[in-house]
Amino acid sequence: MTDNKLLTVSASPHIKAYDTTKSIMIDVLISLLPAMIFAVYMFGFRALTVTLITVCSCIIFEYLFEKIMKKPITVFDFSACVTGVLLAFTLPVNVPLWLPVIGAFFAIVIVKQLFGGIGKNIVNPAIAARIFLFIAWPSKLTSYLLPHADKMSAFSVSGGDVSDITASATVLQNVKAGKDAGYSLFDMFIGNIPGCIGEISAILLIIGGLYLLCRKVITWHIPVSFIATVAVITYIFPKNSTMQAYEFMLTELLTGGLILGAIFMATDYVTSPATAKGRLIYGFGCGLITVIIRYFGGYPEGVSFGIMIMNLLVYYIDKFTRPRPFGAVKKVKVNK
Amino acid sequence: MYFRIAKITDRGEIVAYTFRGGVHVPESKFTQDKPIVPMTVPKTVSIPLSQHIGAHCSPCCKVGDTVLKAQIIGDVEKGLGCPVHSSVSGTVKAFEEKMTPLGFKVTNVVIESDGESKLSPDVRPFGKSVNEITESDVIDVVRRAGISGMGGATFPTYAKISSAVGKVDTLIVNCAECEPFITANHRLLIENPDSVIGGMKILLKAFGIKTGIIGIEDNKKDAIDIFRGKASGDDMLDVRVMKTKYPQGDERQLIYALTDRIIPAGKLPADVKCVVFNAETCAGVYNAFTTGMPLIERVVTVSGDCVKNPGNYLIPIGTKISDIAQFCGGYVKEPYKIVNGGPMMGFAQWDTDSTVTKGTSAILFLSKEYDKQYSQPSACIHCGRCISVCQMHLMPNYIAMFASKGEYDNCEKYSVMSCVECGACSYICPGNVHITALNRAAKTKISEKMRAEKLKQEAKKAKEDLK
Repeated sequence: MTDNKLLTVSASPHIKAYDTTKSIMIDVLISLLPAMIFAVYMFGFRALTVTLITVCSCIIFEYLFEKIMKKPITVFDFSACVTGVLLAFTLPVNVPLWLPVIGAFFAIVIVKQLFGGIGKNIVNPAIAARIFLFIAWPSKLTSYLLPHADKMSAFSVSGGDVSDITASATVLQNVKAGKDAGYSLFDMFIGNIPGCIGEISAILLIIGGLYLLCRKVITWHIPVSFIATVAVITYIFPKNSTMQAYEFMLTELLTGGLILGAIFMATDYVTSPATAKGRLIYGFGCGLITVIIRYFGGYPEGVSFGIMIMNLLVYYIDKFTRPRPFGAVKKVKVNK
Repeated sequence: MYFRIAKITDRGEIVAYTFRGGVHVPESKFTQDKPIVPMTVPKTVSIPLSQHIGAHCSPCCKVGDTVLKAQIIGDVEKGLGCPVHSSVSGTVKAFEEKMTPLGFKVTNVVIESDGESKLSPDVRPFGKSVNEITESDVIDVVRRAGISGMGGATFPTYAKISSAVGKVDTLIVNCAECEPFITANHRLLIENPDSVIGGMKILLKAFGIKTGIIGIEDNKKDAIDIFRGKASGDDMLDVRVMKTKYPQGDERQLIYALTDRIIPAGKLPADVKCVVFNAETCAGVYNAFTTGMPLIERVVTVSGDCVKNPGNYLIPIGTKISDIAQFCGGYVKEPYKIVNGGPMMGFAQWDTDSTVTKGTSAILFLSKEYDKQYSQPSACIHCGRCISVCQMHLMPNYIAMFASKGEYDNCEKYSVMSCVECGACSYICPGNVHITALNRAAKTKISEKMRAEKLKQEAKKAKEDLK
């Protein structure tokens, strides 16, 4: 018997649900796997190289930063991994291999760690890094390989050597210029189009999203309100005379990273509201800003800007969609 | 009379008896098929002189006195409180200052048992049939029997009755038992349904209500079958089956699920004309009337992965945990944590000297496995799960964030005072943040502040009065 032996004392509750940050991040990685495999099929092993370099640099930067700042090491929760994969998914396969390293530095050190590490960052690290790279090296991020083009060497550092052979405008660039999309809706749906590594196949991204829904990692609110907002606006106000309204709407939905953004980026916990109502408002805002930028802005695609701007508003969305406590009397403050 | 598994709302929808929020916790009811076994009388018991909310009892025995089983050993002269009885017959050995399982310092009466369990002559049936009982009889008998709420809150039952008489139109017997592991009420419902129903009828008489609602969670199939049978021929029974979800047994959610009434923040069930009794409390009332036996023993679920023979035991109040462990065959693993109560709201004990009190529904011997995740705290990732499980519809993540920064004013703005500390947010948190503990800390700080302000105002008023 353990008489007089002191036991552990702690506050209740004494049991814990299985889910942890780590298990959630692993679920997200699993859900991104189909799109990754498809990217390798479409673009060759260079897609994998770019992704691995991004992921590894994210992990290394996070580890080094935490080691130097003497903070607890959080690389094992896989959140840096997810950031790496998402960032790589928003890059074209023909980027020079040093570019993702800079992106990873920006995402992990500047956007995430300098704001306090996991859970404290204000904007999504992958999105912010993508925007940073996009503005700093626009030419590197706006030329894409044609689908089924000659595969690039997996380890070609500069990446620029094929740009003059097979570089192509994206569907959205065509549409924005008032031209025909250049690809059928079916091609867009399965991913037979030029684009960034992870954004091309709508169907595989949706499958990944359904997996996350089933695992209860995300709720339907943000993707549905984001996509529905874009759908409604683009259907009512089509902006390309060569296309039917529904064609234009589907083109806008299936390209430009909208599905990737709506399912995987906008739903990032840290930078999205935590209430159901707030999530609907946030999704609507993301969709609205995306369409405004696509219609009136200088860039053909606006998903990343839409998400980043809404990221900044999350605290206030949460604040104003605070649920009414159970049994709260109408006038909460009596003596103030 | 009634047996219902769903209600029809004002809008005509058929919905289950349940509430919004809450969490599905693995039930872990390993002991639900184990019949209640009376524990052998321990050599010594250590009975705390305060086992209820309210004033501490003052002892009415001296060291060296011989006491009989069920004899009063401590009572409250004035104020809220009910007497404490000896659970064994024997000699008073000492008075010792000890922490109660809930962490308050209180005098304990240490009684060495003579092993004979000689019953006090005061124990005799009340002698009136249910129809003749008056409301003051009930209050008197319940007080003398020392019954306090046996679900864990330990509010003196007589006080609950006397404060609610005339104000309520609905009586609910709480058979939810939503905490994982605990099966004490479940076994009681199966093995002794008549005592629960009998106690309910006595209470109904006191309140002058015709029908009492019995709310059972739908994971207790066998108990539901028994009560369905009982309900068929009985006008006073209204058995309702609720969805299994934690914390269905919380008064607010229970009343809401069963009657659609919402208790306003900071108010009591009586404010929505409801009164809720735990199943075992009802059985205690019944025993007090039929046999005269005060509350000196209770059904305790002994469970957890460290104890050899988990089960449901009828344990005398004041039994030490070490005696229980011995009675249950000892440990198979070294316990890391011993919890008095359920795993969600129970209190971790610091040693095995701690005792069973009137509010102890379970003693859990848990290994380090259960504590693994809490020892690896990460950070809030703002996933919103705590918000979706919060039965009070709060934002626990924000409250915890403010609390950890010491911004208690913001905690108050986010209605931390409505928090009932059910633990669902901590349970679900993937970041292993101990949200409940932070909320509790914020609540303590805020009530301290409120108390200080009140004192200040009173002092100011007194000063003005002097002028």
